[in-house]
Amino acid sequence: MSLPLSYSIRNVSARPARSLMTAGVIALVVVACTLFLGLISSLRHTLVSSGDPLNLVVMRKGSDNDGSSQLTLEAYQAIKYFDGIARTASDEPLVSPELVVQPFFRTLDGGRENVLVRGVEPIALDVHREVHVAAGRMINPSSGEAVVGKGVMGRYQGAQLGSELQFGRQKWKVVGVLESGGSSFESEVWVDVRELANDAKRPLPYSGIRVQAISPEAMRAVRQRIDDDPRYAIEAQPETDYYAKQAESANALYLLVVGIAVLAGIGAGFGAANTMYAAVQARTAEIGTLRALGFSRGSILWSFQVEAVALAVLGFLLGAGLAVGLAELIQVLIGGVGFSARTFTTNVVTLRVSLGDLATALVLAVIIGLAGGLGPAWRAARLRPIEALRKA
Amino acid sequence: MTTALIEIRNVSRHYTRGVDEIHALDNVSLDLQAGRFVAFMGPSGSGKSTLLNLVSGIDRPSSGEVIVAGARLNDLSEDELAHWRARHVGLIFQFFNLMPVLNALDNVALPLLLTDLDKKERLRRAETALRVVGLGHRLDHYPRTLSGGEQQRVAIARAVVTDPDLIVADEPTGDLDARNAEEILTLLRQLKNEFGKTIVMVTHDPRALRFVDAALHLDKGVLLEGEAAARADEAIRLAAGGGLVGALRTA
Amino acid sequence: MKYFGLIRANLGRNKLRTALTGGAIMLAVALVCILLTMPAGMNALLDTISSNTRISVHNKAGIVYSMPYAFTRKVRAIDGVAAAVGMTWYGGAYEEAGRVTFPNFAVEAEYVGDVYPDYKIDPQQLADFKRYRDGAIVGRQTMKKYGWKIGDRITLKSTVWPADLDVRIVGEITNERAPMLWLNREYLDEALKARGGSGLGIVGVVWVRAADPARVNAIMRTADELSRNSEAETASETEKSFFSNFFGSLQGFVTIILIVTGLVALCIVFIAANTASMAVRERSGELAVMKAMGFTRGIIFGTLFTEAVLLSSVAGFLGVGLTLGLTKLLSAAAGWNDTLGPLGAFIVTVPVIVEGIFLSLFVGMLAGFVPSWGAARKPVVQILHEVF
Repeated sequence: MSLPLSYSIRNVSARPARSLMTAGVIALVVVACTLFLGLISSLRHTLVSSGDPLNLVVMRKGSDNDGSSQLTLEAYQAIKYFDGIARTASDEPLVSPELVVQPFFRTLDGGRENVLVRGVEPIALDVHREVHVAAGRMINPSSGEAVVGKGVMGRYQGAQLGSELQFGRQKWKVVGVLESGGSSFESEVWVDVRELANDAKRPLPYSGIRVQAISPEAMRAVRQRIDDDPRYAIEAQPETDYYAKQAESANALYLLVVGIAVLAGIGAGFGAANTMYAAVQARTAEIGTLRALGFSRGSILWSFQVEAVALAVLGFLLGAGLAVGLAELIQVLIGGVGFSARTFTTNVVTLRVSLGDLATALVLAVIIGLAGGLGPAWRAARLRPIEALRKA
Repeated sequence: MTTALIEIRNVSRHYTRGVDEIHALDNVSLDLQAGRFVAFMGPSGSGKSTLLNLVSGIDRPSSGEVIVAGARLNDLSEDELAHWRARHVGLIFQFFNLMPVLNALDNVALPLLLTDLDKKERLRRAETALRVVGLGHRLDHYPRTLSGGEQQRVAIARAVVTDPDLIVADEPTGDLDARNAEEILTLLRQLKNEFGKTIVMVTHDPRALRFVDAALHLDKGVLLEGEAAARADEAIRLAAGGGLVGALRTA
Repeated sequence: MKYFGLIRANLGRNKLRTALTGGAIMLAVALVCILLTMPAGMNALLDTISSNTRISVHNKAGIVYSMPYAFTRKVRAIDGVAAAVGMTWYGGAYEEAGRVTFPNFAVEAEYVGDVYPDYKIDPQQLADFKRYRDGAIVGRQTMKKYGWKIGDRITLKSTVWPADLDVRIVGEITNERAPMLWLNREYLDEALKARGGSGLGIVGVVWVRAADPARVNAIMRTADELSRNSEAETASETEKSFFSNFFGSLQGFVTIILIVTGLVALCIVFIAANTASMAVRERSGELAVMKAMGFTRGIIFGTLFTEAVLLSSVAGFLGVGLTLGLTKLLSAAAGWNDTLGPLGAFIVTVPVIVEGIFLSLFVGMLAGFVPSWGAARKPVVQILHEVF
């Protein structure tokens, strides 16, 4: 015979103050972990979602990011017509030569950040299939124009559609906004590659080349050819690999989240156990009665665990609501959260609490409830009917 | 000298509990001499415990005066009352007398924390008090390893360790069996006889009549006098000797 | 205090509860301290690594926009400049292909020691650096990380320049928070020329030491004046400002860390308050007896309050101890992380320890106050009515 669920639930609602304190502790842990988790997974999403599976990133041998590499015009021209490279409808090779520079930008509150400015040719939009013009239009070559990523817009002085944006040694007119499904391209500013090279006084015109292949096999072949080319010290890697490596440093942050979850979780578990032990003590007579009536030890154990889980779920609901609200508030108050990218530029991350994050938090809360409630439930189950009645 | 140690003048005590207005005591007056062992008796709700609380300074009357050992308790503030109790009264309760986390010696020494004595002196006096009540061999025992009777004896030791003028006991034998109750009452009688302590006790226990100098009866907040008091006395004696039926017949 | 025995005995009343509460507070304080080491690390870096007489002169458009090397000489000649050194990012990767794991620069060997006297580099080591073209001076943090010793040879593969270099470690920067490696710009210049290039004609940043803090503003103005209308207009700023800006983008993350820290701290208060109120509730009978015996409200409040604060503080101390252990683990695992920068150093500073202890004290007081006050204030008679 097992105790009905309503017994456990009613016990939780019978002492609202005490239940709320315990649920409150779990709620706070849920908020803390969810916020951090949301931030880190948003960061990771930004990094991991960048990259087209059919694209290659070509850089000088030994460079780890396209901000530090330098390539010659000849190298570009050599690669351009390799077999296996996809073409546009008008038979142009989908090869995008690019120059990456990291100039200072002024934030709205007067601070200073490095932003990744990518000098491109018009074909870049075709090669980077995930990038789209969300507002305005793409730049015209040699016109002093710029398009800004969604994350850049509104974060820096002058980074608005139609405004003049100052960086490098000149002012640029913002004619469009780019979006790319939340990937790191939204933290970039695109301008004409020649104008940028001139402004930054770069001796070599390009820092990297992005190449789109026809198929995965073709991509492998093109990569092999580029790597083996004896004329130029260049190498290629799949774009997805390139960004995945950048995501690695974000993995260290997951360690931090796990650490927080473990420490906070154990602490909350102790707090929950405390309350549950007190509850067992207070209800000793009641438990004795139940046992005398014939309810088994297992059913008592089960009932207390259910109660603990109910408290945990209550805490989760409170915490989840608070976390989502706080995330929105943070977005409104401080906008995107900046992280350093490998290019020493700012990756703007939108703090978003996803369903996956909430699911993880729920699991954490339930574990806290189960673990914290296990000791007390065990003690309750082990009470002998006679002992319990005598204490009363 | 037979000066009144305790003077109670026209004292009433009422309070509200929830929606009810309770009249615990109604215009009670009495004098109690020093060196006497007196019991307050009466049915539940008669006001005997309330009267005891007034005498020991734990409670204040709604009207009237309470003068104990020359001090007008009405005039004293909360903190002054606390100081007064520490110096003049020793208390024994039915439950929760002892701190479960302290051993017998430390329990008895507890009220001495309110004095200026140093630790060595405090423990010495506590040990003496425990010997007086016959528990010199149980100094380091914790309450949970002492029987009910032993616990009450520790409580009595604690009540006398500060050498108070007045000892107040609220149902001291209520939770004990016959043999232990006898021991406790004997001990209290001894304190009065050998040390001249004034003892006021609230009790239900009919056996107590054999040990006390006088019994005061209360009913519904009023002190019973004359015939009513004598009848109450008789009823109790019969209950102690002849059983319940005999008592009911006389009442 | 003569009541200490009573307080200690009461803490041992329910050992399991005391342990659970203490354990929870300990963990939470440890967590708060670990989180706080992150922004603290950043602030400490800004304090120790920057002096108030050092100025950075760099291209107004950005660090990646360089200046002509000749400009270094002009800056050195400015009135009030005690010493100036040109530095250029080398971006060398050590062992891990393509990954720069510590900052490294090509610098002017003759001048670098004069601009950084506070780095306390052994004068003999500086002399060696000037003498041996392939020499390198390395920060202690990095030396420890890789187990290098003076005299070791290492290979650096530049991620920016088309020239890999073999360098020999001749000196150490004793400042624990400076992880950088300095190599000789002439060495890089030669290597570039050997590969058919035009050598190292540019400089990234010119670091200047002012003879007198009062001259700093004047020097900055003059340097910017000198470069005005040239192809490389400069923006000079103090070293502190330079590093603040450098790590400025991390401010948003720091805000979130602080919010999470606040939440955890609130957690601690809840846990402690819960325990304190439970403890007081169970003892109401005993407290009534004590008050009846003559213990004043002040004493009752004092002992209960002290009990809560004592538990909290001891747990807090243990928590700080735990922090010291955990951060050692963390900094070994993380160190100078791309994403976190100085936030990832996890070095526990004195302010963090103090904050942790204060937090636990404060929590104890906050949590213990209401139950203790309530218990002390209740009239004895009322408790007796409730209990008996």
